[in-house]
Amino acid sequence: AAVRSRAEVDATLQTAKLNPAELLPAVHCLSFGPRAGGECCLLQLEPGLCAELEAGRSLVIRGEKDEHAVLCSKDKTYDMKIADTSNMLLLVPGCKTAEELNADPASCNIIHSQIAGFSKNYWELRRCRPKLKKLRKLLMEDPYEGPDSEKDQTSTFSKYTTEDLLSLIQASEEEILHQLQVIDACKVEGYWRILDFDYEMKLLNHVTQLIDSESWPLSKVPLCACLEELGSLEPREMIEHILLSYGRKYVDDGEIFFEMREDKICRAIAQMLLQNAVKFNLSEFQEVWQQSVPEGMTTRLDQLQGLALVDKSSRPETIFLLKVEDLPEDNQERFNSLFGIREKWTEVDITPYIQDLCAEKQTVGALLTKYARSSMLNGVKVYNSRR
Amino acid sequence: MVQIVISSGGTGALAQWLLVELQGEVEPRQSGGLAGSLLGDLHYTHEGVPVLIVGHHILYGKVVQLEKPFAVLVKEGGAPQPSPAGPHGHYTVTALIKTKLLFKTRPKPIITHVPKKV
Repeated sequence: AAVRSRAEVDATLQTAKLNPAELLPAVHCLSFGPRAGGECCLLQLEPGLCAELEAGRSLVIRGEKDEHAVLCSKDKTYDMKIADTSNMLLLVPGCKTAEELNADPASCNIIHSQIAGFSKNYWELRRCRPKLKKLRKLLMEDPYEGPDSEKDQTSTFSKYTTEDLLSLIQASEEEILHQLQVIDACKVEGYWRILDFDYEMKLLNHVTQLIDSESWPLSKVPLCACLEELGSLEPREMIEHILLSYGRKYVDDGEIFFEMREDKICRAIAQMLLQNAVKFNLSEFQEVWQQSVPEGMTTRLDQLQGLALVDKSSRPETIFLLKVEDLPEDNQERFNSLFGIREKWTEVDITPYIQDLCAEKQTVGALLTKYARSSMLNGVKVYNSRR
Repeated sequence: MVQIVISSGGTGALAQWLLVELQGEVEPRQSGGLAGSLLGDLHYTHEGVPVLIVGHHILYGKVVQLEKPFAVLVKEGGAPQPSPAGPHGHYTVTALIKTKLLFKTRPKPIITHVPKKV
């Protein structure tokens, strides 16, 4: 490859009728490197990712063949897409800016810079919700029914470690670990498990019965005593797990206690009652429900957001189980599903079923504007399908 | 599921490259591809304005600090087209680009083309 000389550069300037006095003395002679093909590609970095890479951390692209690829940092997930530009992007190592040339008086007069690569497109990232629905689906393949369950001994279902989940879920590690906590998953022999609901209620019942018989205040349930009293009935790890799931742990005078979570316990008991029928007479349900919760707890319908729906149009009013986690993950599919269940929704009723779809700074209102059409019904604003 | 790791290889600070953005296509004068051929001379005025002389054209540009920097990725194994659907692979972050020279103004043709013999 020809190497340009100072004389040639000056000759070009003269032909171009440019005045060298108006220019910095240093010039970059750009040429294409020997391997300047399409080997390099460009990834546009969202805020924070540049710092991650500079700190030596990695990013991971994840996806099945039939999924859109996502990029994960340690704690965030991004959709990936190729952006085309009509311009030519040349990648030049060691090319200095005017500032850098001025700052370094010893700058070479002629800098031979090789273009390392060029592209007309780059990967663009957009922060997205991690695709976590699959996590629950995987763990629900084989819910844990307790150590006595024969099923566990002979189970042929896959069990998943953290590493397994990282290779199957399009989400960052922190997002996965956070979600495991949210769904009350626990580790049994190194594998993440979700408790079978009946087994979970059995454990909860042991604890609430013990609280009742010992007359402990709901806000101060001692861990040690629970393990001692119930340790013969169930594994200690399971007793501790149920206390962690349904209580808030704290230390008082060196001892561990739990403040039981009224809302969560009432909600679980409601689910237990509602899953046995298609729908219930609302007032009958409310009576049975209040009688079924531990002494000292008060049931309220707002505890059931995202779990059950009240039909105020039926006579008598009814209530039925509708779990948000059973609904589709994709926005449009979620709305289609909801409008299939009920033609018109008030904002109050639909919010618990679309709240989880909101992106980082998105509101429920914005989602409704995009995916629904509003109208007035008996003086109340309702939303229905756009279709 | 495919998992492709993007990492810097951890050996010291990442190189900082520059991006030169040109409108349109760059074509070689002779056939045989661009590799090894000259593109042109890049000058700066005293005010810091980049001036690129490419073939018969003078291009005036501007320095842009990128709001979103780029990472330059090179695929291990040297496959030509990076694709997330390939088998487990690895991309090395070769450099970061935080600044670009954007040449958007229409090139000024150099009318007199008389190569001077030196």
